[in-house]
Amino acid sequence: MIKYFATIWETVTTLLTGMGVTWRHMVAIRRDNVTLQYPEERWPRPERDIGFDHDKYNVIRSRLHVDIDDCIGCLKCERVCPVDCIKIDTVKVLNRGADIPNIRHKGITSFGTKKALVVTRFDIDMTECCYCNLCVYPCPEECIYMTGGPNAEKHDIDYEFSEYDRNDLIYRFAKKVSDEDVTNATTETQEVTD
Amino acid sequence: MGVVQGDQMVLNIGPQHPSTHGVLRLKVVTDGEIVSDITPIIGYLHRCFEKHCENSTYEQVIPYTDRCDYIASMNNNFGYVVAMEELMEIKVPERVEYIRVIMAELNRIASHLLALGTYGLDVGAFTPFLYMFRDRERILDIFELTCGARLLYNYMWVGGVSHDLPVGFVETVYNFLDYFEPKVQEYNDILTFNKIFIERTADVGVLLPEVAISFGVSGPNLRGSGVKWDIRKDEPYSIYERFDFDVPVGQGLVGTMGDCWDRFYVRVLEMIESTKILRQALKDIPANGDVHQALPKKIRPPKGSIYRRTESPRGDLGYYIISDGSPQPYRLKMRSPAFTALSVLNEISRGWMLSDVIAVLGSLDIVLGEIDR
Repeated sequence: MIKYFATIWETVTTLLTGMGVTWRHMVAIRRDNVTLQYPEERWPRPERDIGFDHDKYNVIRSRLHVDIDDCIGCLKCERVCPVDCIKIDTVKVLNRGADIPNIRHKGITSFGTKKALVVTRFDIDMTECCYCNLCVYPCPEECIYMTGGPNAEKHDIDYEFSEYDRNDLIYRFAKKVSDEDVTNATTETQEVTD
Repeated sequence: MGVVQGDQMVLNIGPQHPSTHGVLRLKVVTDGEIVSDITPIIGYLHRCFEKHCENSTYEQVIPYTDRCDYIASMNNNFGYVVAMEELMEIKVPERVEYIRVIMAELNRIASHLLALGTYGLDVGAFTPFLYMFRDRERILDIFELTCGARLLYNYMWVGGVSHDLPVGFVETVYNFLDYFEPKVQEYNDILTFNKIFIERTADVGVLLPEVAISFGVSGPNLRGSGVKWDIRKDEPYSIYERFDFDVPVGQGLVGTMGDCWDRFYVRVLEMIESTKILRQALKDIPANGDVHQALPKKIRPPKGSIYRRTESPRGDLGYYIISDGSPQPYRLKMRSPAFTALSVLNEISRGWMLSDVIAVLGSLDIVLGEIDR
């Protein structure tokens, strides 16, 4: 009989202790509120000043972007990708480092490298991407990067990129030119030299 | 499963069931309300971890280890890089070791918060779940500040870490610890010592120490049964021998030793021990240092094999790596603690009511990503 009442007493006291915790939260709800009304308000983006050389590091992982004018087609990012979501096709140019205006090809990257290849296809399937950031490190021209953060000058952060069609999530970074134009542009010079 | 008698019924729990913590299917033979046999059916999350590793390079394996135990990715990375560094005989800088320990312990707290919160949810307490997730969110913010990802980090590399700590990181973690330590008392008030919760979990699903050892159960589940076994203490890896912390074990405070409540309480105490380690590590961490200093140019381990185990929040996480001298592993096996924890479920929940099976399953804190791999 004593045990019966002891149990009831214990239940009531521990319940009241627990409810005290929730009560304190209810009183301080304005101060401690953590709920965010998402579409109207957003979390502040992480600080851009992270204290080290921004050229070397990339701390935001939102989505991949490629500055295609700087890409030399070395395929390093394609090889390192664990899920094979990057697909690159290249065609060799004969005049290394020359601009080809027909297909809007730039011959020299912003790092000063003379390009030997035309990148005809640079597709990233963001549905497959696992955001591991491994492709960013080996790039010799630093042209593939996650948007925002240290790269905010190059590209704004953008983490809301849902689409209605799955195919819209395959990002095609290469210049939109026909195969014919590429073949003409890369063999034209050859005819001249022959 | 054996023969089902006339008065018995076979019941399916899962694969889509909120209490199975993932896609786990339990085939339960019940006699009325009493459970007489449980067969866990796994494999719904199988992603060919081992076969995939044989076809990818050593650095490409690290994002995959993230996805095994997705609640504690840092600890999974940690186990892999510790094994790889021993195989390749790399000595990593002091600062990297401290960063790794800080990250692993923060992730241990985050993982235990999730385990405790969802366990409360399983037995019907909703509010603690929200409080614990609120605090877990702060840890994830710290991770995001450091490496840009909130859940799957790919942070620890063979020979270093991917990013150095951001400016003001140490203060941020100190602030978090100052905020977090009083909260543990709050969890105890609202859930751990609540009489209803105790009635629900004490004396239920008692895991005897002998049974636990013979099944190979490790981590908080084993310590809940009173066995003092922690790899961080008993086989120290990295720099864990420098830190002063206790290994909490279950004592049967409110019931029998090794019951669900003990397993729960051991996790609460472990969070406190983790904050102790964090404070020591933050005090001693070298202020400067290149975290990329020891990164190998190419990861090509010599011929040979290694088995190294580390203490993940779920227990004894081991990696067995066979190298044939090429950039890809010849074989890579992962020994997952959650798998052994699930194997003991049938043993300890037989004879209990159906609703107690959910309580036992939740107290084992399994992650299906790690079981199926």
